Amino acid sequence: MDIGPYVLQLFSGLSRAMVLFLLSAGLSLIFGVMNILNFAHATLWLLSGYITFSIFQFLGEQFGASPWLLLPAILGATSLMALIGFALERFLIRRTYDRELPEQLLLTFALVLIVGDLIKLVWGVENRRINLGVEPVEMLDTLINPYHFVIVGSGVAVAAGLWFFLHRTRFGKIVRAAVYNRNIVSALVIRIPLIYGLVFAAGVGLAGFAGGVFLPLLPMALGVDHDVIVQCFAVVVIGGFGSMLGTFVAAIIVGVVYSFSILFWPDGALAMIFLIVIVVLIWRPWGLFGTELRY
Amino acid sequence: MSAADVRRGRLARHSLAVPVAILMFALFLLVPLLPGKFWTHVSTEVLILGLFAMSFNLLYGYMGQISFGHAAFFGVGAYASAMVFTRLKTEGGSIGMLDFFLSLAAGPPLAAVAALIVGFFCVRLTGIYFAMLSLAFGELLFYIVFSWYSFTKGDDGIQGLLPPLYFQDAVHFYYLTLAIVTLALLAMWRITESPFGYIMRTLRDNQRRAAFLGINVRLHMLINFVIAGSFAGLAGALWGPFSRSVNPGLLGWQESGVAVFMTLIGGAGSFVGPMLGSVIYTLLQAVVKMYTVYWPLTIGTIILLIVLFLPGGVLGLVEKRIKARRSGDGDAGSREA
Repeated sequence: MDIGPYVLQLFSGLSRAMVLFLLSAGLSLIFGVMNILNFAHATLWLLSGYITFSIFQFLGEQFGASPWLLLPAILGATSLMALIGFALERFLIRRTYDRELPEQLLLTFALVLIVGDLIKLVWGVENRRINLGVEPVEMLDTLINPYHFVIVGSGVAVAAGLWFFLHRTRFGKIVRAAVYNRNIVSALVIRIPLIYGLVFAAGVGLAGFAGGVFLPLLPMALGVDHDVIVQCFAVVVIGGFGSMLGTFVAAIIVGVVYSFSILFWPDGALAMIFLIVIVVLIWRPWGLFGTELRY
Repeated sequence: MSAADVRRGRLARHSLAVPVAILMFALFLLVPLLPGKFWTHVSTEVLILGLFAMSFNLLYGYMGQISFGHAAFFGVGAYASAMVFTRLKTEGGSIGMLDFFLSLAAGPPLAAVAALIVGFFCVRLTGIYFAMLSLAFGELLFYIVFSWYSFTKGDDGIQGLLPPLYFQDAVHFYYLTLAIVTLALLAMWRITESPFGYIMRTLRDNQRRAAFLGINVRLHMLINFVIAGSFAGLAGALWGPFSRSVNPGLLGWQESGVAVFMTLIGGAGSFVGPMLGSVIYTLLQAVVKMYTVYWPLTIGTIILLIVLFLPGGVLGLVEKRIKARRSGDGDAGSREA
């Protein structure tokens, strides 16, 4: 049997899963800590892709083109996005904590439109892509772009780092405590507003990182964020709000199911994902790894 | 129902609803007197999307649940009607008067069936989970319509939905839409002011207490979900002959977002709020698009400002001003409320 196409789909599925994980991890963290469902998360991811592209191009003009310039470009875009995230929380999101869910949704929804249009204003309607010019390597009956390994590797590394941060550092423990009970945490003289700002910055920073890392694999195009955000919601819902492990597993489920569906039923790939979401929400509304308590 | 509820604009406002509705109806009657067909055309869109937004508000404003998949029923209504339309029209592309109304009538029942199936599952959840499940069902229906080419023509959509000659005239079609939408809204008003409507408000304020009163919570939510879906289906059925075509985008979550926008701009706490929101949103869109392609940026900024400074929507603000004046303590009172 020729396993080539399956291997290829597996890798593209895993790459997709890593990007979905990086985005959903931030989404889930932000929702867990401050109960805000950030509709604009994927739009900020898209913005980071464009920013990475511009930094990469700028550095290329200054120092001569090299694939390694992607590293500083991603680093720069990630830091910039974290700053943008901090500012968004400080000046916009913070004003809606005492409001109801729909109004908060509406605020981030407005950001989707504003940021999406600003991207169009600055970068135009052309798709942006970085071609690293790396040769595909032959393995398991097929040719694979080695960049897939970079994405999967960095995704797993971030997941491990995030786990370490949340479970082994003081700040991470405060964040997890805030997920369970904000009032008690603030009673311990911990500055909750600062925690909120930093968590939002970290979440948007993760999305920024994902935007940069994904750039050599798929072109950034206007409107992609609208599809990606609902897939991230799918991941968060399947995994369970607030559960990092759940988000990781769900991202892999969604990524791999998507890429294998493309092999068998190209048009129905996304329908499959929403079918899974529906089954999970009906069977376990709190998600595969979430706890019933929070439901 | 606390003062906080009033501030958030979640109380049905009887005092304003009737005069505002009558005023709006009178203005709608006069629209075709404006020179040119443009404003008549835009006002038709206002009415159709307004009906759609008001059907959404049956779920949000009255039942307290936010649906991000409501466009699915708008789209199912549009497609059901468009398919019957295509089946009934002659080789030459024209359609008889009776057949035309038959195709319009196909929208609501089919949307109701879809809402019954989707609602059966959705009413088991509340809050964010209700929103997510409705979003997932909406997206599922969107991708089914998008990819089932042999049945729905996929992303090509269905074209050539030319109404009978009499209704091809913009003014005639406008008055037809106005008549249908007015009748639909009278029915909707009757429902929201019935004991059933008050059960909805109870469910919005406290589901557990409602259950203690012996109300079958899920059944009532399901009935309301189907009613809301049917009205959305009616709006969808009108959309086909209005735009002469239907496409899968009508079912997508962005279209659901439009209903949410309109409702929150106008004020979810009022019966006519979403229609007022549709007037503001659609007219603004028509005007802004004349000058710039950056419509999303414009509406995004407006929504941002409304969320930050005008919670409760336009009608919420007006109501607050009136209350403040009546209690005689001016602006300080309005801030307090």
